Amino acid sequence: MGLDRRGFVKIVMGGVAGTLFTPVIWQGLDDTSIWSQNWGWIPRLNKGEVKATSALSKLCPAGCAVKVKTVGGLPFAVVGNKDNTMSKGGVCPVCAGGAQLMYSPARVKSPMKKVGEGKYEAIKWEDAEALLLEKLTPLKGQEGKIAAISGDETGTANEVLSALLAGLGSSAFYVMPGEMFTAGKGVKLMGGSGQPGFDIEGADLVLMVGADALDSWGTTVANQKAFAAARPTGKEAAAQYVYAGPILNNTASVCDKFVPVPPTATAAFCLALANALINAGAVSSASDFAEYKALAAKFTAEEFEKTTGLKPEVLADLVARFKAAKAPLVIAGASFGQGAGALDFVAAASLNVLLGRVGQKGGMTLLPAAPKAIATATDRENAKDAASFLASVATGKATPGALLIYEANPAFALPQPAEMAKAMGNIAFKVSFSTYMDETAALADLILPAPHPYERYDDAMNPYGVAKPTYLAGKPVVAKPVMDCKDPMDVLLAAAGKLGLSLGAETYADAVKAKAKAVGADFDALAAGGAWTGEPKSGSLNLGAAALAKAPSAKLDDKTVAFAPVTKLAYGTANLATPPANTLVVRDTELLGKDLFVQMNAATAKKLGVANGAKVKLTAGSGEVKALVHVNEGVAAGTAAMLLGFGHSAWDEYTKGKGDNIYKILTVSDEAGTGLKVWAGSTVTVAKI
Amino acid sequence: MKTQFFVAKFDQKLQERWGEVMEEKKQCKGCGGALPFVIGFVAAVIAGWVLFPDLIYSKKTQPVRFSHKIHQEQGMECSSCHTFREDGSYAGIPTNEKCAECHADIVGSDPAEKVYVEQYAQKGKEVPWLIYQYQPDNVIFSHKAHESLECTSCHPDMAKNDTPPVYYENRLSGYSKQTMKMWKCERCHAENGVSNACHVCHK
Repeated sequence: MGLDRRGFVKIVMGGVAGTLFTPVIWQGLDDTSIWSQNWGWIPRLNKGEVKATSALSKLCPAGCAVKVKTVGGLPFAVVGNKDNTMSKGGVCPVCAGGAQLMYSPARVKSPMKKVGEGKYEAIKWEDAEALLLEKLTPLKGQEGKIAAISGDETGTANEVLSALLAGLGSSAFYVMPGEMFTAGKGVKLMGGSGQPGFDIEGADLVLMVGADALDSWGTTVANQKAFAAARPTGKEAAAQYVYAGPILNNTASVCDKFVPVPPTATAAFCLALANALINAGAVSSASDFAEYKALAAKFTAEEFEKTTGLKPEVLADLVARFKAAKAPLVIAGASFGQGAGALDFVAAASLNVLLGRVGQKGGMTLLPAAPKAIATATDRENAKDAASFLASVATGKATPGALLIYEANPAFALPQPAEMAKAMGNIAFKVSFSTYMDETAALADLILPAPHPYERYDDAMNPYGVAKPTYLAGKPVVAKPVMDCKDPMDVLLAAAGKLGLSLGAETYADAVKAKAKAVGADFDALAAGGAWTGEPKSGSLNLGAAALAKAPSAKLDDKTVAFAPVTKLAYGTANLATPPANTLVVRDTELLGKDLFVQMNAATAKKLGVANGAKVKLTAGSGEVKALVHVNEGVAAGTAAMLLGFGHSAWDEYTKGKGDNIYKILTVSDEAGTGLKVWAGSTVTVAKI
Repeated sequence: MKTQFFVAKFDQKLQERWGEVMEEKKQCKGCGGALPFVIGFVAAVIAGWVLFPDLIYSKKTQPVRFSHKIHQEQGMECSSCHTFREDGSYAGIPTNEKCAECHADIVGSDPAEKVYVEQYAQKGKEVPWLIYQYQPDNVIFSHKAHESLECTSCHPDMAKNDTPPVYYENRLSGYSKQTMKMWKCERCHAENGVSNACHVCHK
């Protein structure tokens, strides 16, 4: 009996019918439905024990003592550390996204060598370290031929870098500009020495002149905690806060009073207030009080109104508040944390001297120089600024053959960044030690990936603003970095050894532990989330009258306005572009699509002949920025305010090409009497397009 | 006229084809009747119940031949290794940290221990154990909430097991054959008066 077509069809029909009585179809459908829920691109949870490990998160300038939550050893979230006396459980908006930033697409994944304009190839660490050594060796022993720029204000890494340079015969160690730098110079102009501190916690009236202390200035989280402690919910406030600055920012918005002071009039505002206080009976035992009094007398109520655009009643109100306060404090600072002249600092700090608040509880303090871990390192007080250095490179006065860039982004975060980038082009070999692919790394000849803060040892000595000597340290949270990176200081210490230098530490972990020992702190206790504090030094300051006599005043015409860069810590720092999670909090009146807004009050807009929503061009020096106008009555008279930290040309899809970099229109000038490069108080020309 | 011609032609073709079909039918008489259907039916049933399970699952063995029996004979309880953490979460299969408490170095003569110590513990590498009852990420199962039940209510009794059972991995879904399906959870919940609302297990 053969199998014909009909017979075959019957078998198939029987097979189909039989299959219905087996699990094939039913299980197949079930498994297919499960399979469809398990696509390869769906992220999988990392399962394991959930732990919270103490860490020093140096993503923000001050550094937050945090707890990093891990699951199965991998970080997934950051929370505050309640046991830390500095942060008291708080965390800043940058460090809050620290775990996500470990996996940022902008991270440098492995050592990279430049092979053409804008082209890099990944190389092995041993090749990268050999290249570094090859380039440094012939420059050894030549003053200024090896230079370094550091963007880290507080770490022992600065000691390693400067000691390495000293050992190689170069003193070309430079720091990126910050408040700490200018404040140190200001204290010297007032006849003192050391880093100034501000006891916000102990004050009952805090006048912040420019300093955005509750958002982006100093130890932000500690400042916020002090503010919260003094103003408990439902109870009477124990301290008043006043913000005097160019814009109603996050700090001003929670203060008792906001005084809109143009950034070009900071010194004038302070001296007018000093004059009013002196007229109200304030006297000082400072040696230059008579000179100071005479200088302040020039800043009459009329002069105050002319320079600040404010009514004299504002001064009277402030004087009344000072008279009522038992422990007033004036905090001096630039509204965007850098670029202010030492004279602006002196003008504000002199009010503390006038009121007898130096060295007092709730007043201004002076911190002693911290002991060093590496004896040959440069003292922090003697640090030189990177902006001046790159200006010298541009003019050919400085001719380094190699530049080491550590945690700094001078090609983005210095005024006239195109000029800075051009100056860097004059340096034959540039090494960027960077965690992220920033604008400076994109110009480097060798990029050496640095670990993320939760992957490395690091420390923070006296973050700017602390009232007492303070030291924090941390160790890695994870067993292995996410990327193929090495601690920059480990790389440099190894290079130092091969160049015949001994800096007293073989690894950066050794250097940090040596620092802790020198300070008198227990490293293990610090790494477990503790903080070491010491006592401020005694000493007095004068009123800085001789320096203040040289304070310049800006000349503005019809089309020129004072320019106020605005920082918001959530939007990033000089070293860090806006964290991806934080792009959600950028307002539509700050950045719309790719257009940044310039904010000004209605009177300024009218003076400039522009309306809300108009597209304008802001120019200063050789720079130009386009923006949309947003009329905001929270901006000081005759002032245009714009956000800093946008307009990146590197980084990642979340920040690249969003807005414009307003560093382009910050102009640098030499401050009279101090020679410092300053750019706070820049002016811009605004034209409709 | 033309239309009539085509109709007649079509009719003729139809008649011819019908004749062929009837011829085939005559020739096919007695060539199986319902038998082919039955053969196909039975073959499919056998294939579906016997061959299909072997085809849909691939067989895998654990990277280390772990003997529960030996450990149980040392007087250890399930909870000696499968512990609750301080926060109440369940550690599941122990990590090197736990195993190395006893096996940082080779302590016995079993070759499987040598494999574990040399290839995993001493290299700081976790053993990629195959999880028989791995649940997807969208299932939030709390061992703490089910602590009053015996382990063997849901898991096979491993105490006497000297060689880990074969791991059957579903080639399509990727899950183990022993992975508990939702209907089992729901049945037990229903039988014990526990809510079967979605949020009970899916957060």
